[in-house]
Amino acid sequence: MENFQSHLAQNRYDRQLSPPIEMAMENDNHNLSADKHITDIDPLVSAIIKVANQRDKAAFGYLFSHFMPKIRAFGLQRLNQQGLAMDLVQETMTTVWTKSHLYNADKGSVATWVFTIMRNQCFDMLRRVQHNREDAFGDDIWPLYDVAVSQDNNQDHKLTAKLLVHLDALPLAQRQVVQGIYMQELTQQELADALKVPIGTIKSRLRLGLEKLKSFLETQHD
Amino acid sequence: MIKHHPHAELLQAHALGELPLSMSIAVAAHCALCQECQTQIAKLTEQAAKLVFVSSGDDEVQHNASNEIDVVDNAPWQQMLSNIMALPESTMSEPYIESSVTVSHRNTRYQIPRVFRQHIAQPWQQIGKVSRMRFDMDEKNTRASLLHIEALGEIPQHTHKGFELTLLLSGEFSDSTGHYVAGDFIILDGNTQHSPITQTGCLCYTVLDAPLYFTKGISKLLNPIGELIY
Repeated sequence: MENFQSHLAQNRYDRQLSPPIEMAMENDNHNLSADKHITDIDPLVSAIIKVANQRDKAAFGYLFSHFMPKIRAFGLQRLNQQGLAMDLVQETMTTVWTKSHLYNADKGSVATWVFTIMRNQCFDMLRRVQHNREDAFGDDIWPLYDVAVSQDNNQDHKLTAKLLVHLDALPLAQRQVVQGIYMQELTQQELADALKVPIGTIKSRLRLGLEKLKSFLETQHD
Repeated sequence: MIKHHPHAELLQAHALGELPLSMSIAVAAHCALCQECQTQIAKLTEQAAKLVFVSSGDDEVQHNASNEIDVVDNAPWQQMLSNIMALPESTMSEPYIESSVTVSHRNTRYQIPRVFRQHIAQPWQQIGKVSRMRFDMDEKNTRASLLHIEALGEIPQHTHKGFELTLLLSGEFSDSTGHYVAGDFIILDGNTQHSPITQTGCLCYTVLDAPLYFTKGISKLLNPIGELIY
């Protein structure tokens, strides 16, 4: 069990450190130091790794139990309403569940990561309550992950980065499909199954999304 | 070199998420340009997280165990937990985000911190060498804008009832109190008069105050800033 866990943690480590393109080269280079690192791992970190890699429900239950009362207390204090505090718990823990793969142990503790998610969410909820605005600025103000600066001059890389900037501008439905196909390398059928839509819908979203991205790039190069 | 930074208490309030949108953007944009304050924010965030999440003194393990029973016995929380776990993993893969966005004015393109991403679609309004892009923040009396001044442009001497924040994003300007470079975070109170002049042109983010915020506790943070910076 111990070994199994270390192995998973090691994979996860690679995933965080290197962009997908370079991953193959990075393998097996730092097994020793990583194993050493894993032996005194904090239970919150190992729980989040299990959630990220295996969608482990028991591990998530542990995280939920750990953070829920504190998020609720924070929500009550800031938002001043039971229902909104519940919403804050729900929104924060949903992000922990769906984006656990974005947690990077090198960047800080699990508590700091969850705090960041919670504070950002609370910021947007407060604007919703006070200004009746459905905007989402929290994650732009305090990014949940590193804002990477391109380190090499690889043209592909740059183009990818440029495209990714524009991905945000695509409607959610198109964005999911473009990301699924080009970044996660899923097949159209796998995406259709995951999103529970017919494959024809995937095809048309992909076409629309790519056309839109193309037009963004063209206007930028003018 | 950046000489003017947000006040320590302003950084603290920012890490806690207590500032209004206009000021949060200002501090975040400064941090994107200033490694020193960025490091400081990371530290303050870690401290805030500890304060909120790490229970003081009592046995962590026991504490968790009792919470676990809470969740198990409590139907609404159980329901929430299983609703969440029914969701698929986000399709977002390792994010690769550029640290800046581009804003163009008068044939010049400026790279500004990414935090402005959702705000820069507004039109420019121009009077002489000075142009303004007003942001839509919906914060009562606070007005947040990008301010562009062409080379050799000048803002006539002015004062404000509340405070005026200027974050220099690109270029340079001077006023009677000094010379400023990109990243400088300058807060003036209502009593200070100044008339900035730029030799080569500049782009700033400015926030003009809402008296409202002064009455709500942030006054404590903003009032001493004038003295501290000058």
